[in-house]
Amino acid sequence: MGQTPHIAVIGGGSTGIGIARDLAMRGLDVTLVEQGNLTHGTTGRMHGLLHSGGRYAVSDQASATECIEENRVLRDIASHCVEMTGGLFVKRPEDDEEYFQKKLEGCKECGIPAEVISGEEARAMEPHLAKDVDKAISVPDGAIDPFRLVVANAASAEEHGARIETHSKVTDLIIENDEVVGLEVEHASGEGKRIHGKEGGTEEIRADYVVNATGAWAGRIGDMAGVDIAVRPSKGVMTIMNIRQVDTVINRCRPKGDADIVVPHETTAILGTTDEEVEDPEDYPEEGWEVDMMIDTLKELVPMLEEARTIRSFWGVRPLYEPPDVGSDDPTDITRDYFLLDHDERDDLQGMTSIVGGKFTTYRMMGEEISDHVCAKFGIDAECRTADEPLPGSEDFSVLRDYMDEFGLRSPIGRRSVERLGSRADDVLKTSDPNPTVCHCEGVTRAEVQDAIEQSGSDLNAVRIRTRASMGNCQGGFCCSRLASELHGEYDETIAREAWDELLQERWKGQRHALWGEQLSQAALNYALHSTTQNRDNDPADGEPVDFAAFDSGVSAGEASGTADVAADGGTRNGN
Amino acid sequence: MSDAQSPTDFDPVEPNTGEDFEPVDVFPDSNDFDLRPGADSCFKCSVCDTNCPVAEVDDDFPGPKFQGPEQWRLKQTDDDYEIDDSVMSCSNCMRCDNACPSGVPLSQMHNTARGEYVENQMSKTDLEYWRNRILSNYRLSASIASKVPRLATWGMNFGPARWLMEKTMGVTKERDFPEFATQTFREWWAERGGADASRRNAQQRREELGLDRDADKKVAYFHGCYSNYNTVDVAKAMVRVYEHYGYEVVAPEQKCSGTPMFANGMLKDARRHAEVNVSSMSDLVDQGYDAIASCTSCSMALRQEYPELFDIDGIEKVSSNTFEAVEYLRIHEDVKEDVQEAQVSGELAEEFAYHAPCHARNQGLERQSVELFRDLEGAGIEDVGESCSGISGTYGWKEEKYAKSMDIGEEMFEHMEHAEGEVGMTECPTCAMQMEHGTGYEIRHPLELLEAAIVE
Ligand SMILES: Cc1cc2nc3c(=O)[nH]c(=O)nc-3n(C[C@H](O)[C@H](O)[C@H](O)COP(=O)(O)OP(=O)(O)OC[C@H]3O[C@@H](n4cnc5c(N)ncnc54)[C@H](O)[C@@H]3O)c2cc1C
Ligand code: SF4
Ligand code: SF4
Repeated sequence: MGQTPHIAVIGGGSTGIGIARDLAMRGLDVTLVEQGNLTHGTTGRMHGLLHSGGRYAVSDQASATECIEENRVLRDIASHCVEMTGGLFVKRPEDDEEYFQKKLEGCKECGIPAEVISGEEARAMEPHLAKDVDKAISVPDGAIDPFRLVVANAASAEEHGARIETHSKVTDLIIENDEVVGLEVEHASGEGKRIHGKEGGTEEIRADYVVNATGAWAGRIGDMAGVDIAVRPSKGVMTIMNIRQVDTVINRCRPKGDADIVVPHETTAILGTTDEEVEDPEDYPEEGWEVDMMIDTLKELVPMLEEARTIRSFWGVRPLYEPPDVGSDDPTDITRDYFLLDHDERDDLQGMTSIVGGKFTTYRMMGEEISDHVCAKFGIDAECRTADEPLPGSEDFSVLRDYMDEFGLRSPIGRRSVERLGSRADDVLKTSDPNPTVCHCEGVTRAEVQDAIEQSGSDLNAVRIRTRASMGNCQGGFCCSRLASELHGEYDETIAREAWDELLQERWKGQRHALWGEQLSQAALNYALHSTTQNRDNDPADGEPVDFAAFDSGVSAGEASGTADVAADGGTRNGN
Repeated sequence: MSDAQSPTDFDPVEPNTGEDFEPVDVFPDSNDFDLRPGADSCFKCSVCDTNCPVAEVDDDFPGPKFQGPEQWRLKQTDDDYEIDDSVMSCSNCMRCDNACPSGVPLSQMHNTARGEYVENQMSKTDLEYWRNRILSNYRLSASIASKVPRLATWGMNFGPARWLMEKTMGVTKERDFPEFATQTFREWWAERGGADASRRNAQQRREELGLDRDADKKVAYFHGCYSNYNTVDVAKAMVRVYEHYGYEVVAPEQKCSGTPMFANGMLKDARRHAEVNVSSMSDLVDQGYDAIASCTSCSMALRQEYPELFDIDGIEKVSSNTFEAVEYLRIHEDVKEDVQEAQVSGELAEEFAYHAPCHARNQGLERQSVELFRDLEGAGIEDVGESCSGISGTYGWKEEKYAKSMDIGEEMFEHMEHAEGEVGMTECPTCAMQMEHGTGYEIRHPLELLEAAIVE
């Protein structure tokens, strides 16, 4: 084939974006379409654990081995998205000793560095662990920021010529002679960066090959082509604590069960999770008892969780898949491995492959395999470089800088900013303009917010996932308005208001599940603040654009002397 | 998207008032506390910021909300997470503690952060470190100076010497060093016959008052450094007033309360001193004594800062049995009535411009002097308002902080000038310095007036 083949990838989660980067780096023409933001799907609603493989070392050793391999790769190529916290499999007195030994064995078999430490040693590492913890196995688990990782992959793919379209939904597949030859896409706000209020439109994207990386939605894309992809979506809840009670990933060492892991994530700790099959990946119940169970069960490992502040809870759906002949009843029995479904071989439909299952930790490996598969279709012999080439932001950098001298930032704010930006810190933070802190909870400054706006247009949720602004303890109560003002200049008032409303809505969604104790006080304060300063309980003046110029220009010298009939204040002044 | 089926079926828990917040001692026997959980109570209202006197005059100071809950939440326990150097600009007035509606342990956070900063980030060869260390170890300087009090008073205020101190050490030359008494309180106390004499006086007084001669009325006096070396009259007044009510007083072995050390992040020094104080006070508490301080910062230290910052045997016991001198009498005796019936004449028959120290405010004592003395015949008292005096112990002595300290004090100076009297009154010795420095007034302690009113 003479021409560079054009590949369309559906789905802007970790899987899709990993594929797009890999193919683009191999020199193929790539277009990726995503119906929402990047990470809109499961990737944005996961636990943030960079698996060492320890969790699967007994039940699913193939997955475990892949995890430890990729764990090592990501520490390297995605260093600014990863925090190597280390992990512990903690055994309580009532937990099974035999399983503990199996876990240890399993880790060794899969090449996962594992070491037994005593209860005291574990508590010396993590003082908030329960006093009666027996012992633990330490493994190289880590924390990973899915948003940052996906955004960095997208940036790299774009650098290599890929086109990334967010807020663009595939509504149909174009099929000619039993071959998928393109997509029908509906853009919510036109092509390119998302701008609120911009006219959308449909587009036909012709492609030489289509990769369906829509995770839990894969079946729907299959339906468009009349092929059956039996994804079994399974939901899991995660509860975010206001602070880090632990700095190490804490797993409960027992066979399987709900609520058995705490992952430190940036300023917070995330409790998880459950595993329950659902019908529809977009519509499933989110129930209070699930959150209760997280806290009630995990407090056996970390007792202070019972009293600690919860800032929100969220649910995600695993795109589990098992070949039709297996037939597991319990979703926890379904393998965490991934499957590549070539619809030509499987369903006599050419031009498309679906990839389902898998994990975030192994996203790159999945990308590599499917890219090999696609390249083979076109007889291209290009090497995969994604395991060696660092992501933008993860090139050589150090977080230990003189934040005040170099960036004029207070040390904890500078530190957090540099951690988020990695090697991009100098580009983004060195500015001669005033650089106030916009989000105080997470230490996000104007320069970082402006950088995000430049990347993603007027979409403040996209700014949020890039910067963590509004993800701290006030949950945007204080900074959403400031974030919206940052749109000023580039975007007009109507756009800023729409983006602001959308951000507030999104922030509220997760907080609904944390309305007791301190977060209830927070919500009450936010409400009072928003109603008294923004009139949000009544008439937030978001209908007709406000003529701000009329306020700004003030009273001109001529008018100031006043005549009797310009008496806006009741008219007593002149007559006295 | 999916929706909540039932919004909440949680048991609503009591909102956290911060009262049962207990920091964990991360490593036994060290001062490393993990204070991140304290950030759980903060809902960002910024009331603390609006009450911070330093933030009001210093635009570069990010304020208590940042210093406390925000910095701690952003921080991590591993060592290379540094403390921002702005924590050294906090004067430790502890107003933010009181202001917070949600019980965030702000001053504990500042003190701990400052301790970490000094321990790990401040160069031990830096002059600033030594300047702060010398200022905060006032007791040591004072104990040397008091050996040759007149020479010391003269020498420390000798112009060229002060110029040199400012240039080399950063101790402002604008202020006069306090005068050293020619006889320290403890020298006087020993000469007077110590605890035995006090017991005899108390027994005699009890008989006069018609009380049981052996009534269980005994207090351990924490005089602190300043009333030992400088304002000895305050300490003497304390002893006389307490004996007047039939209390026997002991003056146990004691070191500095630690107040200036907390403010300078010298937590190791503070701990050494605290160990001595807690050990001698807790023995006495076991024997039925209550600990009494005449300086509101000393009582604050023993009551609040000690248990917040250190884990020393007996610390809780001492903390819950410590009182400020006038407060204690107001609880146990009819001082108010006695004062109403009394009359002062002579030196203390004055109108007083009274300033409540921030640390008194924190203990809920800001109105006690005004309430006590307002009906006293022969003297008058007027509260000069809520503002902070601005000196905050050693803060105002630093060359680079002097101007800010005076800016903060401005409001108080003005109100003092407007008040009728020309004599100031306060419980805190460093507030007294500032009041005198800003207005030229002489400053007295409530115990002195109380003595003049009721002890004949
Ligand atoms: C509760 C939970 C916790 C987890 N924790 C971890 C963990 O700690 N570590 C780990 O490694 N893995 C974890 N996982 C697994 C991991 O999150 C997923 O395997 C991974 O994120 C899946 O990524 P994906 O790209 O395949 O799917 P998704 O992220 O769901 O991406 C699919 C994308 O396709 C888009 N899409 C769908 N239909 C269309 C359409 N018609 N047009 C355009 N776009 C469309 C969706 O909007 C979505 O963004 C967890 C999963 C769950 C549910
Ligand atoms: S202690 Fe005083 S100076 Fe320090 S932050 Fe609190 S209010 Fe401000
Ligand atoms: S006053 Fe208390 S709750 Fe309010 S911002 Fe300050 S620390 Fe937080």
